[in-house]
Amino acid sequence: MRYLLPLAALLAPVAVAAQVADPARATVQALDDGLLAIMKAGKAAGVAGRTARIAPVVDRAFDIPLMTRLVVGPSWNGIDPGDQTALVAAFRRMTIAQYAKNFDSWSGESFTIAPQVESRSGDKLVRTTLTGSGAPVAISYRLRQSGGQWKIIDVFYKNSISQLATRRADFAAVLASGGAKALIAHLEQLASKTGA
Amino acid sequence: MPAPGEAAQPRLAPTVAAGGALPAPSLRHAPGDPLENFNRRMFKVHQSLDRHILRPAAMGYRDAVPKPVRSGLRHFFSNLGEPIVFANFVLQVKPKSAIRTVVRFLINSTIGLGGTIDVAKGKAFELPHKPNGLGDTLGFYGVKPGPYLFLPLLGPSDLRDFVGGQADGLLLPLAVGAPFDRLEYQIPKAVLTGLDLRAEVDADLHALLDSALDPYATLRSVYLQDRAGEIAELKGKSANTELPGDSEEPEVPGAATSPSPPAAPELQDPLADPAVSSPKPGEAAPEPVKADPVPSAKGPAAPAQR
Repeated sequence: MRYLLPLAALLAPVAVAAQVADPARATVQALDDGLLAIMKAGKAAGVAGRTARIAPVVDRAFDIPLMTRLVVGPSWNGIDPGDQTALVAAFRRMTIAQYAKNFDSWSGESFTIAPQVESRSGDKLVRTTLTGSGAPVAISYRLRQSGGQWKIIDVFYKNSISQLATRRADFAAVLASGGAKALIAHLEQLASKTGA
Repeated sequence: MPAPGEAAQPRLAPTVAAGGALPAPSLRHAPGDPLENFNRRMFKVHQSLDRHILRPAAMGYRDAVPKPVRSGLRHFFSNLGEPIVFANFVLQVKPKSAIRTVVRFLINSTIGLGGTIDVAKGKAFELPHKPNGLGDTLGFYGVKPGPYLFLPLLGPSDLRDFVGGQADGLLLPLAVGAPFDRLEYQIPKAVLTGLDLRAEVDADLHALLDSALDPYATLRSVYLQDRAGEIAELKGKSANTELPGDSEEPEVPGAATSPSPPAAPELQDPLADPAVSSPKPGEAAPEPVKADPVPSAKGPAAPAQR
């Protein structure tokens, strides 16, 4: 393994260049571009129009099946395959619907993506800042490689509020009282509530 | 913002109906929330008060009072809170932040016309408001949040922050006395700041609770994570280095002393895929275990969905 060292030194400048074009960063960039696009499309596009535009962006940027499993937690393995598939589909639909609903207008907001990407045990963290009318808001994305692509598995607001953790808390009571089927029903209701 | 097509509810069982009031889970409380049954009742009371009184009043306040007046009042009361911020930075032995708070207070109290204009925040001074209180100081020295607490009109809190907030509120009445110890001051202050805060958070709160299956649990989770993040930042454990207004005080006792940011807190949880870390130890099955043929036998049969 010793011969790797000089090689690594030689490659160091390349590594720096590669960091700038980090694939994880590109994933987040694509999401931010997509969000800005639907914000600018605005109310004129309607919820349906924004949904149609953001859906493929969400599918490329997020690992929805893994996020669903992480939110459900260990009880995932006790859920039958049909319900597992339905849960993933419902989670996807809800995620898309909520982006389409909440990103419905643009008043000068912009996203800045930090150049450095942190990594730890296989996952990467991409930090962004949303600048709008008020104080800048930190939004960071945790990504994991799946099928050769870096996909988002969690979103952090203010560097501390995890979307997965919040969803886990949100779903716990329904899962405990009604199981997977009740959760699917609730998620579908939530998605359709947005009119998507 | 609420989208027009909200007609899809009747097809769901009554327990699924809007409003978010889930049947109180028969299992015991969630972690960090030993008073969950009490809190959920208080949350219900609050939601009702909010729907019928607080929110309409806050919206009326927002519509009736011009924006400069509202922000002027907000800054005025916030400025009077800076001595509390200062005191807590002193208690946390953060002299730089304490001095900045004093300078900020002096600038805004004078050039800022009695605190009504936040000039200190601007480019010339770059001294934005930094929230701080006794709850933060207790957390900074390792006091855990204790039981989560939700109280009508006061909103989410925990025992540590609630006690801390009450003590913070005593500082000016005890140290200065009149007018801060008079109800003639306390009541208008509580009403104005309460209405203003409710109006300011309306869009965010709506977006958060409207996207939740269990608004109570969602709000609790967000509150507790947010507070944990703020305390970690005070301790200097946050890896958030690019936003202005961070903890940059190396003299913190017991805090991480390494100048380079430690591993991002966002990456601490290993987040093992439940489908991969199969509970069956013998087989390294990459596929989810598809064993249980009767998953619905786990709980009360799911109430007839559609």
